[in-house]
Amino acid sequence: MTAYFIRRFLLIIPTFLGITILVFTVTRMVPGGPIERMLTEAQMASGDQVSFQSNNQGIAGSTLSESQLNQLKEYYGFDKPVLESYGIWLKNILLLDLGYSTRYGEPVWESIKQRLPISIYYGFMTMLLTYVVCIPLGILKAIKHKTPIDNISSILVFIGYAIPGYVAGIIVITIFAFYLEWFPLSGFTSNNFDELTFFGKIGDIIHHSVLPLIAYMSGGFAVMTFLMKNSLMDNLAADYVRTAMAKGLEFKTAVVKHAFRNSIIPIATNFGENITIFLAGSFLIEKIFNIDGFGLLGYESLVERDYPVVMGILVIGSLLSLIGNILSDITVALVDPRVRFGG
Amino acid sequence: MASQDVLLKVENLTTSFKTDEDQITVLDDISFNLLHGESLGIVGESGCGKSVTALSIMRLLPKPAGQVEKGFITYKGDDILTLTTKQMHTIRGKKIAMIFQEPMTALNPVHRIGKQLGEIYQIHFPDMSEEDSRTAQIDILNKVGIPAPEKRLREYPHQLSGGMRQRVMIAMALSCKPDILIADEPTTALDVTTQNQILNLMRELQREIKMSIIFITHDLGVIAEMCDRVLVMYAGKIVEQASVNELFASPRHPYTKGLLDSIPRLDTPSKSRLEVIEGLVPNLKNIPKGCRFRTRCDFEIEQCGVTDPVVEAISEDSSRTVACIRWKELSK
Repeated sequence: MTAYFIRRFLLIIPTFLGITILVFTVTRMVPGGPIERMLTEAQMASGDQVSFQSNNQGIAGSTLSESQLNQLKEYYGFDKPVLESYGIWLKNILLLDLGYSTRYGEPVWESIKQRLPISIYYGFMTMLLTYVVCIPLGILKAIKHKTPIDNISSILVFIGYAIPGYVAGIIVITIFAFYLEWFPLSGFTSNNFDELTFFGKIGDIIHHSVLPLIAYMSGGFAVMTFLMKNSLMDNLAADYVRTAMAKGLEFKTAVVKHAFRNSIIPIATNFGENITIFLAGSFLIEKIFNIDGFGLLGYESLVERDYPVVMGILVIGSLLSLIGNILSDITVALVDPRVRFGG
Repeated sequence: MASQDVLLKVENLTTSFKTDEDQITVLDDISFNLLHGESLGIVGESGCGKSVTALSIMRLLPKPAGQVEKGFITYKGDDILTLTTKQMHTIRGKKIAMIFQEPMTALNPVHRIGKQLGEIYQIHFPDMSEEDSRTAQIDILNKVGIPAPEKRLREYPHQLSGGMRQRVMIAMALSCKPDILIADEPTTALDVTTQNQILNLMRELQREIKMSIIFITHDLGVIAEMCDRVLVMYAGKIVEQASVNELFASPRHPYTKGLLDSIPRLDTPSKSRLEVIEGLVPNLKNIPKGCRFRTRCDFEIEQCGVTDPVVEAISEDSSRTVACIRWKELSK
């Protein structure tokens, strides 16, 4: 089994190269880019009335001279063929240098680092609350199958599932922040955050995060709750639970010791993907609540053609999900003794 | 047959299952006795209520669909059906044990054999020390013929063959030396050689522990080999009850005759046609009026569709019964 996991880890390398080459090439091929963006800004600044019909015309009719343009191209590495500049980029990545944001001129890592605490906080809370809510709820629903508790919770869970997260966000903001004023309208912390005590800070963050968390999670309950419920119901009807009862075990003990352990196996199959909480974030929800997280960063850098940031997020994101898949395999092997990877 | 020899008495047991639309009576007014130390076979086609009889006795009917409607199941003077859940936990596994048809799925795949076996001692002998429990586990595995039991205790069910798993099931069932063992098709899923080994093992252990066995099967060959007495069930009713010798020598009910005729025999010429009982078991949702077997019976007369045949005692000690209005003329 060790050999299997070593092989899985080694496979990360070609997969990672494939993903990054593909996206790197695409960023080179699509029209627009940092230089064009700069030219636009320069023209805006100089009040030049020449309008843009296309990017090429824009360069031709720009205020910059040919040599200045070449200088810029050299600066961004656009003067070299795609593969060569990919090689340079890759070398820098291996040296843990993600490059500089073309938008802010600061290191890409700085932009990412700023968003990390926010995204980790939301990602972790979402993960925690999903497990804490869905697993017990799924168990309850399985045991109380077809009772009012089961039916009502199903309706609620499906309503949440049917409403997109950003719509849920707008609804809760309107009700709880605007009309009732129970929660702040937006942001991650209050303005006076630095003056608060330690517990005050925690309270402040929680106060700010209740509504966004509802928006993030309203749709997420359905899948895991029903996965848990159905999986447990399957196992409650399994022969070995009947065997356990026939041995003289109480129903409750049979559920806890026999059925539950088996029914978390399907949930364990995507446990590893939780590692991507570092990059959690939905652009729409972040926009609504004015949270400066990864969703917004990714979206803005795409719109602004800030390719170093796009690539930086891609590098971290793809590495995390590749590792996450392997983690899931390990978790499954841990909870299910029948699983033996190899061959 | 003195009445004190009766270990388990089932009287007028009626069990039904609720579906979304209606209620289906799966066992209809069943009565029989299980004597001390005897092997009682229950035979019949799939869906005739054999397993439901077993689960009713164990009170393990699938909830909430399965429900005992009426009747008594008396074990040592107590009606099992009126015991509290707590009292029932002290009977299940300790006094009345059960082994199931599918050894492949009857063991929990994620727990080691030792844990699943040790659990029984934990439940029924909570004061037993860890080491005593382990010794007992090794002992019982030895008894059911599992080689290297110390090693097996650390293994998971999927590492064992089907026969081995059924041996583990038997070990689990017998670890408390129960009074009654209910074996629900214990050898159906096994190949013939393994089947034979398991049957021999069960017979040996029965002699040693002096327990009674209720042996549920659709295989009359197994019945002949294992049982003292037989109940023949059809569509939720007991149609005939007899000792094994009587049953094979002189079956009284047309259904029993049909079953016996449909066993392939070594003394008939090869390639000759095997007798079958024509038709299918009636759907329990709409059981034919009168005798339930009449739609497939070669001897049906008008009267069969009018009245339910009563269970008639046809031997002096009333251990032999048959439920057919024409049995007398047919046995001539």
